[in-house]
Amino acid sequence: MEAITITLNGREVSGYPGMTILELARESGVEIPTLCHDPHLAPIGACRICLVEDERSGKLAASCVTPLEPGMVINTESPKVVERRKAIIKLILASHPDSCMVCDKGNQCELRKIASDMGVGLVGFQKIPQLATIEEVNPFIERDLSKCILCAKCIRADHDLVVQGAIDYIDRGFASKPATLNDMPLENSECTFCGTCVAICPTGALMEKKRAYSGTSPVKVSTICPFCGCGCSINLEVKDNQIVRARPGAESAVNRGTLCVKGSYGYDFVHSAERLTSPLAKVNGDFEAIPWEQALALVASELGRLRRTYGPGSLAVLGSSKCTNEENYLLQRFARSVLGTNNIDNGSRLYSAASIIGLGAAVGFPGTTNHLDALEQSEVIMVIGANLTSSAPIVGYAVKRAVRSRGAKLILVDPQRTELASFSHLWLRPRVGTDMALINGMARVIVTESLLDEEFVAGKTDNFEALSKVLEEYTPDYVEGITSVTSEEVSRAARLFAEANVASIVYGTGITQHITGTDSVMALANLAMLTGDIGLRGGIFALQKDCNGQGACDMGALPNLLPGYQCVEDAQSINKFADRWGTDLPSDAGLSAIEMIEHVREGKVKGMYIVGENPALSFPNSTVVKEALASLDFLVVQDMFLTDTAKLANVVLPAASFAEKEGTFTNFEGRVQRVRKAIEPFGDSLPDSEIVLRLANSMGYPMPYSSLQQVMDEIRELVPLYQGIGYRDSETKDIYRAELDKDPLSKRRLFKGQFPSGFGRFHPVQYESPGETPSNGYNFTLLTGSILHHSGTGSKSSRSPRLSEFSPEAYVEIGESDANQVGINQGDKVKVISPLGEVIAAARFTDTLPEGVIFMPNSFPSTPVNQLFDIVLDPQAKTPALKTCAVKLERT
Amino acid sequence: MKIADTLDVDSTFQHLRSQALASMRDHLDGTRPIVMVGTATCGKAAGALEVLQAIREELAKDQPDARVVEVGCMGHCYAEPLVIINKPGNPPMAYGYVTPEIARRLVRDYVIGDDPSLEFTLGALEENDLIPSIYDLPRFAYEQNIVLKNCGHIDPENIDHYIASGGYEALARALRMQPQEIVEEIKLSGLRGRGGAGYPTWQKWRVCRDSKGRPKYVICNADEGDPGAFMDRAILESDPHSVIEGMIVAAYAVGARYGYIYVRAEYPLAVHRIEIALRQARRRGLLGKNILGSGFDIDIRLFQGSGAFVCGEETALIASLEGRQGLPRHRPPFPAVHGLNGKPTLINNVKTLAYVPRIITNGASWFSSIGTEKSKGTAVFALAGKVVNAGLTEVPMGTTLRQIVFDVGGGIPNGKQFKAVQIGGPSGGCLPQSALDLPIDFDSLREVGAMMGSGGMVVLDEDDCMVEVARYFLEFTQRESCGKCTMCRLGTKQMLEMLKDFTIGQGSMEDLDKLYEMAEDIKEGSLCGLGRTAPNPVLTTLRYFRDEYEAHIKERHCPALMCHDLIAYYVLPHKCERSCDACVGACTVEAISPDRKGIKVIDQEKCVKCNLCLLACPPQYNAIIKLSPPELVPAAKKVK
Repeated sequence: MEAITITLNGREVSGYPGMTILELARESGVEIPTLCHDPHLAPIGACRICLVEDERSGKLAASCVTPLEPGMVINTESPKVVERRKAIIKLILASHPDSCMVCDKGNQCELRKIASDMGVGLVGFQKIPQLATIEEVNPFIERDLSKCILCAKCIRADHDLVVQGAIDYIDRGFASKPATLNDMPLENSECTFCGTCVAICPTGALMEKKRAYSGTSPVKVSTICPFCGCGCSINLEVKDNQIVRARPGAESAVNRGTLCVKGSYGYDFVHSAERLTSPLAKVNGDFEAIPWEQALALVASELGRLRRTYGPGSLAVLGSSKCTNEENYLLQRFARSVLGTNNIDNGSRLYSAASIIGLGAAVGFPGTTNHLDALEQSEVIMVIGANLTSSAPIVGYAVKRAVRSRGAKLILVDPQRTELASFSHLWLRPRVGTDMALINGMARVIVTESLLDEEFVAGKTDNFEALSKVLEEYTPDYVEGITSVTSEEVSRAARLFAEANVASIVYGTGITQHITGTDSVMALANLAMLTGDIGLRGGIFALQKDCNGQGACDMGALPNLLPGYQCVEDAQSINKFADRWGTDLPSDAGLSAIEMIEHVREGKVKGMYIVGENPALSFPNSTVVKEALASLDFLVVQDMFLTDTAKLANVVLPAASFAEKEGTFTNFEGRVQRVRKAIEPFGDSLPDSEIVLRLANSMGYPMPYSSLQQVMDEIRELVPLYQGIGYRDSETKDIYRAELDKDPLSKRRLFKGQFPSGFGRFHPVQYESPGETPSNGYNFTLLTGSILHHSGTGSKSSRSPRLSEFSPEAYVEIGESDANQVGINQGDKVKVISPLGEVIAAARFTDTLPEGVIFMPNSFPSTPVNQLFDIVLDPQAKTPALKTCAVKLERT
Repeated sequence: MKIADTLDVDSTFQHLRSQALASMRDHLDGTRPIVMVGTATCGKAAGALEVLQAIREELAKDQPDARVVEVGCMGHCYAEPLVIINKPGNPPMAYGYVTPEIARRLVRDYVIGDDPSLEFTLGALEENDLIPSIYDLPRFAYEQNIVLKNCGHIDPENIDHYIASGGYEALARALRMQPQEIVEEIKLSGLRGRGGAGYPTWQKWRVCRDSKGRPKYVICNADEGDPGAFMDRAILESDPHSVIEGMIVAAYAVGARYGYIYVRAEYPLAVHRIEIALRQARRRGLLGKNILGSGFDIDIRLFQGSGAFVCGEETALIASLEGRQGLPRHRPPFPAVHGLNGKPTLINNVKTLAYVPRIITNGASWFSSIGTEKSKGTAVFALAGKVVNAGLTEVPMGTTLRQIVFDVGGGIPNGKQFKAVQIGGPSGGCLPQSALDLPIDFDSLREVGAMMGSGGMVVLDEDDCMVEVARYFLEFTQRESCGKCTMCRLGTKQMLEMLKDFTIGQGSMEDLDKLYEMAEDIKEGSLCGLGRTAPNPVLTTLRYFRDEYEAHIKERHCPALMCHDLIAYYVLPHKCERSCDACVGACTVEAISPDRKGIKVIDQEKCVKCNLCLLACPPQYNAIIKLSPPELVPAAKKVK
């Protein structure tokens, strides 16, 4: 590519073909003001502020859209340019309300900034403000279109970044404005309140809805969103120790200027009045606030007593997929070296253990094999068992962008018609729980039609023969019989997937939360390895529900694996840690999360330390789980809120929120990202790391860390995946000084297409009926899942005033004909009954479900859906089946 | 691309042609009378359908052997409904201003009888010894019909008419040429785009031809939206195949596989006739796969626009065609490189495409012999406003404004004084008396601040206020601005507010400078052609009629007595007949009453300036006048 040289303000500079004048100017340090330009959006040249003059012709051109031409002589500040720019600012100000002094946008208003930079004071034109009603019915966004300058950033963000299609231009000329279809209020439109438009709006036209004027916040802290596993970077704006708004971190390669409604507005749980402010101890059935020293002493003595009396195996620790890497690392060390047990697990057991095991066995990497960019660049994307736009919105945006902007073809496998269905090239609708047969069926088509990447299969994988033998059975007709997906569709999907140069697979809890979850993950890995879509191109994208599900596992908060997936039963590994920590370590595998409950019921486990998890709601068969937890000799729960689990505890320790502590989260891609402290901990609450360290002290086994930096240093030393992710910056005075390397992901990738062990291994897996089919009068299949406005068990999201105002309660989605059969009307309270329990929620009609299938969200504490499920585990991953069960319905 | 099999194309076309001639034999053998009625929109609006009905009824009584044919518009819109009777042995006769009664008489007296009814005729359509020919009229000394040649002479709903009059011959010839030869031929002809800007057509063709993407598209821009312009409509209604043929030739030249005709939905008759034409062409094998046996495939579809003026801008048109909001985007990339669906797209105006078959048939040198040095061929104008012969006219480039307005258009009606010509629609400008002898072509018009535009030409007389004219056009562009770019959206609004102020006697000389500066800002700073040309009506009126602006501002005086707020009605006491009550009866708001002497007095407080009194006052008195500024009205004497 030949460089193009132009003269810019009298200086010769060079750019590449296709580069715009603006891009080159900014690269050369020449500032040109813009209002409608954003690096994440394609330029449109609407605001005209960026006009520059070509001195050869005297013509003006909008620099954001004008490509370089050899020999251009550009002046960015000629008298003519300045005059025109001023005219534009004056024009805009003339149609803008005079409310700058009380506008919440304050000093962040780009219009105000440019006007002041250019010295535009008096407008000199007729004031023709366009008065508009301020729209503020919804709890998130306040729209005052009188301040709109029609830069169309919101429209383009909506179309090109989040691909929602909620807003577009309406009307023409002076009356034109961004609006929803038929100019309805946002809450009656397709808008998801992701807040991307609010963040990108240069003026006060789109603002966070707030009760009081908060002005310009002086402090901005870049951190990571605490909700799902996407790992979006957010900037928290802080004033008076309050978070006043959250904005997408512009630099992030994950979210690229976008967020979802939880990321933009859900942070307000941090300031919930329900936050715990001091340690609590249960005295005669009631909680009493006690000082930290007393609480820690009590916990230390009780845990010590149980260990002495019943042995270390009588204790169990549940770590959190919502806590940082450092905290999980400390916690597992606490369990192993202080308590002396491998009974440690974390909440991601409930949804991602199948990935850790399945992908670990097949690929050699426990998790997602490529980065999000690679997904977006795929030609074919298969989304299976995941409602992306609800459970991992940022991944949903990437898939939608790939389809809309890059012409990727989407194969959607889901019994439910999710939002992605309208983006799909091929939508397969298998019976609930039969995905694996479908995947095997596709693999068979690929093998029998010789669509496989033979070079890859021969050179980089093994066990192909065993696989092809098992696949023989999965003829399209056989698969059709199981899944009800026609044999033609199975073949079409297989050919589409195999014939693409770059194909990717995205899956979520629809795959992992079945008892055959691990097998299904292996089947998906087989598919990817058959076509070579793993390694250098494409990949498998395993979604995570929690902000640090991946990290908690990476850190060894697992009963059988030490940090970095090093097996406890492997003498070399255990010795490495024992030496480093200077203590003996237990070398037999501990109990997984659900097994802990079973052992409590059997009386083998007497004491539990639960950090940031809520098994009373998140585990199946809550009744039994709660009974078990209540029966413990001693239960200590460490949380931000008095959750259903915490209510059962003997001692509750108040934990700080994500905004009140330092550390790192590892997102679903394996990207390790900094969490930074924005505000002081609420009340007397403390960061989880601090609590664990103090507790270890109280127990007489102090852990030798004076800072989180030392913890991270040790992680880097002992965990191969985390080697080289950071470097020490001794100049800064941060408590936590590790800054992250630009590409911390390379360790997790199949570097240069090589599997870690040299070969990827095919695992022939057989389809088995999930055994959750309707029978004995339980004639409906219940599907559960997360919804956009809530996450997990709802501990955080249900305490976010805005999220819970918008989405206050659970519901039952049901098809109209199914509802008619049971005699249910829209809005009726319905009792959903399984052999194990019942919950009540309002019926909501939908046309997205197959007949006989109903859907309930599982993130409402007031409607604990998981209590309908029996405890049935995936034999390999020990993950309980939580996706689907047979229920019956009754009108109440 | 596969080179067409010369023999195959030729024989296929000859077969098609002989078929057409055979089916036309009825009309051409000269044994029975043919009655042609112009039923384009202009004809219909004047009552052509009633005339047609009357002719059919009258013929049904006696002589069913006569043929009735619906044809398009000849351009003499002022004389609609227009009927042509072609009787064996006589020259074809054109009749104008025909009513159903006249139509019945013509059938009885001339079709059945032998009286050519000279009292109704405009003239014969052929030179002859007996009856004066229409071509003796002065306008025909200047007119030269190339794209309008078939208009009003063939049945637009019958492809055989078109083929029999030489249609699709150019296509057959083109398919036997190399595509680059066609581009070369267009280059030699000097054809420039008739959409308004006058960009050399061949350059677009060459760029599109050389662009890499597939498939390529060709689009006919028939989104004619200028107020007062109706050339494209007339051609599509009267001779749709000439456009389709031009499109196919263009598609072949650039290698396009699909074509779209983007026509505004407000042209239902054009839509109807294009649909018929496309259907017939497809049935004749002129569209579809392997057309005329050449191996070349082309499909053309019709797309109806939804009435946004800005969609005439090519990038907005393409956005609209893609199903998005019709917003222009920055060029480059030009559509010829990156157009519909991101593929190379050739987009030409209706007239540009209609010229193509003529150029291929008659040769580039024939075309380039017409017109001026840099603007070749003819220009089609829609003459409207204060002109006697409103309608379409096609004249060679270089014809002067005076010739068009006074010789072709017949001058200003009612003995009024010519004031200006608004040329080129909302993007064009107002040219004064001093520009009357300007030979018109693309470049000369641009030099004087106007532009060819799509060819609308509105003649203004002494009763037209130039400030109001500027305001009118700016209100149009302001309303039709898409709103995307700041300059056009807000700038035109500010200009409009200033102009409105002037027309009600507010504003200052400072505002006049501001108006000028703003106009220059918008012209230079807007995103697309709409914004860049929107200030032209203001800039030209400021340039040529600044005195009128100043009169409005300084004296609250509207020289044309047009601006409502700056005039008052006044009864000249010495002219008022006193015993006549015409004005009193006409006034709808009881603002006029007689004083003690019986002289009528207008109560200025009550008067709503509806102009009815002025019209009612008998011409022999002419006692009511308009005064500007309104303060000129003498204070009414107090009535005791």
